[in-house]
Parts: sequence; C-alpha cells; structure tokens
Amino acid sequence: MAGDWQPDFGELIDEHQSMVFSLALRMTGDYGLAEEIAQDVFLELDRHLCKMESPLHALCWLRRVAMSRSADALRRRRVRGINQWVEIDETHGARVEDRPSPLADQLERLLATLPEAQRAALVLRYQEDLTPEEIAALLGSPLATVKSHLQRGLKLLRTKAAIHLKEYVRGA
Amino acid sequence: MDLAPMDDFERELRVAFVRRPAPPDLKGKIVGRRWQRASRSHRRMIWLERIAASLILAAVAGGAAFWRHESEKRRAEDAKQQVMTALRIAGDALDEVNAQLTDRDQDAQ
Repeated sequence: MAGDWQPDFGELIDEHQSMVFSLALRMTGDYGLAEEIAQDVFLELDRHLCKMESPLHALCWLRRVAMSRSADALRRRRVRGINQWVEIDETHGARVEDRPSPLADQLERLLATLPEAQRAALVLRYQEDLTPEEIAALLGSPLATVKSHLQRGLKLLRTKAAIHLKEYVRGA
Repeated sequence: MDLAPMDDFERELRVAFVRRPAPPDLKGKIVGRRWQRASRSHRRMIWLERIAASLILAAVAGGAAFWRHESEKRRAEDAKQQVMTALRIAGDALDEVNAQLTDRDQDAQ
C-alpha cells in the first residue's frame, strides 16, 4: 500500500541527487547555483517527508520543486541584472571527470540560449524522458503550450546546432 | 509534438542530456545543513522552555508575595480589631469609675 511507504531521506538523496542537480544545472547554467538549488530542494523535501506517499510521488515532487526553484533563481538573477552569458560559462566548480563530452557541452550551451519555457520543456523531455502530458502536469501548463514550447525549442535548437556545431566540428 | 520516433538530432539530445553526476559532497552538505537546522530548532526550543519556566517561576513568586501580603494585612486587621475592643472595654470601665466617683462626690456634698 502506498501509504505504508517509509521514506528514507538519505536514500532519497542518493537516488535523486543527480536528477535534481542536472535539472537545476541545465535550467540555470550555473554549477554553483545548481548545487545550492539542489541543497534547498532536498531540505524542503526533508520538511515535507511525512507527506510523501510513494517513491513515485517523491520523484515527481522533487522534479516539480527543482524546476520551480530553478525558475525562482533565474527570476532573482534577472532582477539583480546578472549577465546570464557570463554565468553559463562558469563550470569551474565541476570536477574534470564530471564535465560532459565536448558535443554534449556545446548542446548544453546552446540549450542555455533558449527561452526559459522552451528550455524547461526540452530538459524534461530529453533528460527526464517525460511525455508532453507529463511535462504539462508537472509544470502546471496547458498541454498545447507545452507542445508548442517543445516544437519551437527543438526547432530553434536544431537551427543553432546546425550553425554552431558545424563550427565546432571544423575547429576540432 | 506527438511521440513519433525520434530523429537523429533528438537521439543526440537524449544522449547529451543524460543526467550529470551531482557534486560528490552534495549529500554531505545537505546532511550538514539539515543538522544545523535541527540544532538551531533544538536551541530555540531550549530557549522557549527556559522562558516558559521563568514565567512560571515569576508567577509563583508573585503569587506567594501577594498571598503573604494579604495574610499580613489580615493579621494586622485582626490586631487592630483586638486593640479597638480592648480600648472600648477600658473606656467602658473608666466611664463606670467616673460615674461612681461622681455619685460619691454628690453624696459627700
């Protein structure tokens, strides 16, 4: 029975830290900020631990809160007027072995240039492998809007990749 | 967008957007901050308990002082009543002696 599930905080961190951190990183493009967001998300989970009904519930809750915290962080950064481009280049906090392959790194950089709503839809679609319906439910947006963000985002990313990744291949 | 088969680019995206490993000390930091929060909350609770205990002690001490004051006031009232009764008795006795002396003086005349 779902109600009988006893969540273990440590296990939940072990299991989902990579997912929460990756969502925050791809939404903000800032390694340090993503780590901070991941900490905040798990501390919030700790406060709501007794309300978690099942592992799936915890997973969905973590995804939703990670996305919403990332959006809050981006909003705060916009208000403070910090230049996103400078921040996105900042990956000095990451260990060398944790850095993505050059192609993945390029795609992440291109992803970071997309509008926030399109970026959110693409990250949830291709990182978390969610369907548009699941993304709509998670973000609380109409399905048509999510589909539109996915389509436009993918088109834009494809166009940018066609330009920038060619340069990358030539430069390699 | 329907869930049509992914093209090469989408497959590339899925590979590129694989989950990245979290920083190795992330769990430690979360557990540390959780402990700090619990400790802060514990300290706050101790302070609240101390304040509550101080308020109770102050109320008990105040009550005791009030009770002692009232008790002394009552005893003083009793003593005053006793003195008044004694004065009334003495006054009555003096009146009686005075009346007898007046009678004796009139008889002597």
